[in-house]
Amino acid sequence: MESQSPEPPADGSAPQPIAGSPSDFLKNIVGKRVKVRIGGGVDYHGLLTCLDGYMNVALEDTEEWAAGRMTGQFGDCFLRGNNVLYISALEDL
Amino acid sequence: MDHAAAAQISEPLDLVKLALGERVFIKLRGDRTLTGTLHAYDAHMNLVMSQVEESVHIVDVTDAGQPLPPRVERRNVEMLFVRGDSVILISPAQQ
Repeated sequence: MESQSPEPPADGSAPQPIAGSPSDFLKNIVGKRVKVRIGGGVDYHGLLTCLDGYMNVALEDTEEWAAGRMTGQFGDCFLRGNNVLYISALEDL
Repeated sequence: MDHAAAAQISEPLDLVKLALGERVFIKLRGDRTLTGTLHAYDAHMNLVMSQVEESVHIVDVTDAGQPLPPRVERRNVEMLFVRGDSVILISPAQQ
């Protein structure tokens, strides 16, 4: 379940590099499935509902993954921003 | 989450606002979890909760340094203030 990198485009065109600032990236991934890694190496996979300037995150249909195993499921989930290491898109932007 | 609730969420703290008065599951630093009724919160995620069950997840180590199977210590608290900086996750309680 690690590293679900996005598939290359089916039409054979070269994948376009995503330009823009970090906040552009964050705007673009709202509503997409994302992986949020927090300190301690725990990942949360879910649909990104919204986030704010502290990087507090709201996720839907969340799965908690630790040590390669799913360790929990949450319908909705709020993550406090200070714990966030990174946010990664699990689908194409 | 139903779409009516989704429409009300424009920032992450709205999710916590919707959980006021409900049973919530909280994950804290230090391998602790709480389940209880959420009464109040602020922007730091300081929380006031009642009828709380706190679970501490402990892995003991033998003298030889081998980890024993994890165990959970539980206790109940009638009313609890949680300092926001130890909060990792807040979710409406499942089940």
